[in-house]
Amino acid sequence: MARSSFNKLEQQQAPAFFVRGPSAFARLVFFSALSMALMATDSRLQYLTTVRLQLMAVLHPLQVVANTPSQLYHATVEYFSTHHRLLKENSELKVQVLKQNIALQQLNTLTLENENLRELLKANKALVQSSVLGEIMHVGRDPFTKKIIVNRGESHQILNGEAVVDATGVIGQVTRTYPLSSEVTLITDKSLAIPVQVERNGLRAIAFGHGRDNTLDLPFLPTNVDIQRGDKLVTSGIDGVYPAGLAVATVSQVEITPDSPFARIVCVPTGGVESHRQVLLVSIPEAEIALRTHHPAHHPMNTGKNETIKSPEKTTEKTAEKPTEKSAPTSVPGSGQGTAVKPNTTVPNTTPSAASNPKPETSQPNALE
Amino acid sequence: MHSSKLKTIYFSLLLAFICLLLPWSGLALKIRPDFVFLTIIFWLIRAPNLCNIGTAWFVGLFVDLATGGTFGQYALAYTVAAFFAVYYQRRLVLFNGIQQAFYVFLLLLISQLVLLLLKTFSGADNIGWSYFWPCVTGVLLWQIAVIFGLNTGGRSRGA
Repeated sequence: MARSSFNKLEQQQAPAFFVRGPSAFARLVFFSALSMALMATDSRLQYLTTVRLQLMAVLHPLQVVANTPSQLYHATVEYFSTHHRLLKENSELKVQVLKQNIALQQLNTLTLENENLRELLKANKALVQSSVLGEIMHVGRDPFTKKIIVNRGESHQILNGEAVVDATGVIGQVTRTYPLSSEVTLITDKSLAIPVQVERNGLRAIAFGHGRDNTLDLPFLPTNVDIQRGDKLVTSGIDGVYPAGLAVATVSQVEITPDSPFARIVCVPTGGVESHRQVLLVSIPEAEIALRTHHPAHHPMNTGKNETIKSPEKTTEKTAEKPTEKSAPTSVPGSGQGTAVKPNTTVPNTTPSAASNPKPETSQPNALE
Repeated sequence: MHSSKLKTIYFSLLLAFICLLLPWSGLALKIRPDFVFLTIIFWLIRAPNLCNIGTAWFVGLFVDLATGGTFGQYALAYTVAAFFAVYYQRRLVLFNGIQQAFYVFLLLLISQLVLLLLKTFSGADNIGWSYFWPCVTGVLLWQIAVIFGLNTGGRSRGA
């Protein structure tokens, strides 16, 4: 503002060649100080969230404009795709539907059976989390953070902390919501942690993004941990945000060095973290939202971190515990992995507060017999 | 004349911004040149009385917004690099094509380095040499633009 008025002065008084307003160095100092102040405010204080929201609303039309060419391109490609390819795709889809129908039939009976068993156990019903389909608008330019912008926002009832999944697995978590779009931090981002479980043996751990190479780390697991190359990691559902049993990553490398008490485990995400356009935003269960209003300081990104920082070595043994009161029923001291392992895949499905004690669960089938 | 040129500047910045927002992915994302800063460099050389360090800062703020990072990081990086552009602007105008391209490369490198420094302070990992690809592609884009008639010289070139 000051500068534009200065420019006007400049035109009247002297040729532009001579007068240039404040010296370049003064401007450098001024704007550097301003951006430093902004950085400090943004990272330490929360004043700028509303400003960000407002500016993002300005930016949204630009994003829509930027997305139009690629959308047009996709539309035309689809329009001109050959008859032959469509037929082929159609037949493939038919086979897929057939296969999935069979699986669905089994699922129906299993769901019924599961409900019956849960009633017998007096356990809470499994959570049904609704979801919203979104499309990736653009990927951040910043190579340091793994973030994407999705075209669903507050006006579509998207909340901070929602899980984002695609057809093959978990992609990330909503970390900022704007009126018409939301920012998703990918699971490969350094600041994101996700509670996982090894599909093979039910071992629970927390996976951290590696920050580059599109990989995940499983830190703080002892060298004798039972994890092999090719093990599949699924969400454990213990955090109440991610539904249980979604594919997260595959272990690609287990490195044991004698000078470290922990194994170095590298995993590759199964979800198309970098490739897909359509994603599902899974809403947070109501129980968790209620819990969050009780603890305003409870930030979604911190859930994983608190757990590991609390007891890095214990994560494998005692299972990742929530710091709040709801952890008590899930972990049975001394039960280890042996007895409680098999039902593990179903147990996290219940609301954590009402998760039944694993002991009666294992004894229940006997009673039925 | 000035107001029409100002409009051109803002319009070109808007276009550059849209280029930034295009849904890039994969390799293209890795080597994507910094359109916005290239445009700023051009205007800093061409019309220093209309596009100055303040413009660079303000546009950097919007880039921060689009990337979803902490406010002020790109703003500071652009400010510092713009300072070097403005400081040597009068000499830059007289440079020949190769010299100018080299200087543009340096400016891009400065902005990247400042950003790297800021990110390292805030605890980011070293992300390897591929981080500097946008500098190279940026200069290539600059050269292509020069071949297609981009003229940074203005009246000084003619004189």
